[in-house]
Amino acid sequence: MEELKNLKYIKLFSVSLLIYAFIGGFLFDVPALPILNESIRVLYFHVPMWFTMIFLLLISCINSFYFISRKKIIYDTKSYTYTSVAVFFGFLGILSGMIWAKFTWGSFWTNDPKLNGSAITLLIYLSYFLLRSSISDEIKKAKISSVYNIFAFAMLIPLIFILPRMTDSLHPGSGGNPGFNVYDMNAQLRMVFYPSVLGFIFLGIWISKLKLVLNVLKNDN
Amino acid sequence: MLKKIFNILYKYLKIDLSLKHLFLSVALYLVSAIYIIYVVFDFNEIYEFEIWISLFWIVILFVSITSISKSFFHESHNRNYYYYYLFSPSELIVAKLIYNFIFLLILFFIAILFYSFLLGNLFLSKHFFLLLFLGAFSISNCLTLISAISFQIKRNSVIIGILSFPIIIPILKILIDISKVSHINPSWNVIENDFYILILINIIAVSLSYILFNYLWKN
Repeated sequence: MEELKNLKYIKLFSVSLLIYAFIGGFLFDVPALPILNESIRVLYFHVPMWFTMIFLLLISCINSFYFISRKKIIYDTKSYTYTSVAVFFGFLGILSGMIWAKFTWGSFWTNDPKLNGSAITLLIYLSYFLLRSSISDEIKKAKISSVYNIFAFAMLIPLIFILPRMTDSLHPGSGGNPGFNVYDMNAQLRMVFYPSVLGFIFLGIWISKLKLVLNVLKNDN
Repeated sequence: MLKKIFNILYKYLKIDLSLKHLFLSVALYLVSAIYIIYVVFDFNEIYEFEIWISLFWIVILFVSITSISKSFFHESHNRNYYYYYLFSPSELIVAKLIYNFIFLLILFFIAILFYSFLLGNLFLSKHFFLLLFLGAFSISNCLTLISAISFQIKRNSVIIGILSFPIIIPILKILIDISKVSHINPSWNVIENDFYILILINIIAVSLSYILFNYLWKN
C-alpha cells in the first residue's frame, strides 16, 4: 500500500525528535519564573498536543472536502481516521493542561475562553462520531459526516483562533496570540519547544497512517 | 431565482398557515418553558440581571432548536421529491434560511413579551430588541444546515440536539456577553469586537450552508 511507503522515515524522524524533546524537556535549564517554577516544562508537551490536534483536524477537513468533490470512499475513511487520532491528542492536551492547572491555579478547570474552546472542540468531534455511528449506509454516512466535518471545522475557526485573542484570561499567552509568541519564550525554551512540536505532529501522522491501513482492511472485509 | 425563492417562501407560509399545530406547538413549548422558570424562580423580590438574561437566552436556545428541527421534519417525503424536481438546492437553502429567520424572530418576540410579562421587564432597552434580531439571525443561520443534516437520519430526532449544542455555544456566549455588557454601558465601543465576530460567524455559516447543501440534497 502506498500509505506504508514513507512510514518508516516518518517514524524515525518523529521518534528521534521526541527522544530529544523528552531528554531536553526534563533536563535542560528553564527560566525561573514566579508561580510557574519548574511547571513551565509542561509547555513542551501540552502545547504540541493542541498543535497536533489542529493539524490533524485540518487534514481531516481537507479529506472531507476531497470526498464531496471526488466521491471516493477512501477520503472519508482518511478523514475519519485523522479525526479520531486528533481527538485522542485533544484529550491528552486537556489532561496535561488540567494537571498543570491544578498545581498553578489551584483547580482543575476554570471558566476561561481557551478552556471552553478546547472543550467545545472535543464536544463537536464527539458528536461527529455519534453521527457516524447512527447511519448504517456507507455512502450516506460518508456524505453526511463529510458535510458536518467541514461545517464544524469552519465554525471552530472563530472559536479557537479569534475569541481567545480578544479576552483576558489566566492562561499563559493571554490577550494576544494564544500560540507561542507571547509566552516570554527565550532561546532555551525554543530549543526544545520547536523540535517537540514537530515530533508530536509527525507522531500523530504516523499513528493516523497505521490506523488508516487498519481501517481500510476492516472496510474491505 | 429571486422569484422562485419568493414562491418557495409563499409555499412554506401557506403550509404553516394550513397546519397551524406546527407553529402553535412550538409557541406552547415556549410558553410552558417560561412558565416553569416563573414557578421555580421568584424574581419579584430580587431582580438579578445576570440570571434573568442567562435564563432568557437558555430558553431561546431550546426553543430555537425545537422549532428549527421541525422546519425540516414536517416536510413529507413526497413533498421533498416535488421540491427536488422543481427547484435547485441553492434556491431551497436560501428560502429555508430566510424562512427560519422570520420564524425565529416571531418566536423570540413572543418569548420576550411573555418573559417580561411574567418575570418583570426592568432590563429591556432598545438595544435588546436589536440583539434579539441579531440572535435570531445567527441562530437560524447556524442551525439550518444542522437540521438538514439530521433530517437525513430518519430514526433519530435526538441527533439534532447533539449536533447543534456545541456549535451554538459560542454564539450564545457572545449574545449573553453583549447583553450583559450593554446593560451596564450601552455604548458601541464595548460591544464592537463581539459584534464583528458574530457577523464573521454568520458569514461563514451562510456561505457554507449555501455550498454544502448541494451535496446534502442530492440523493
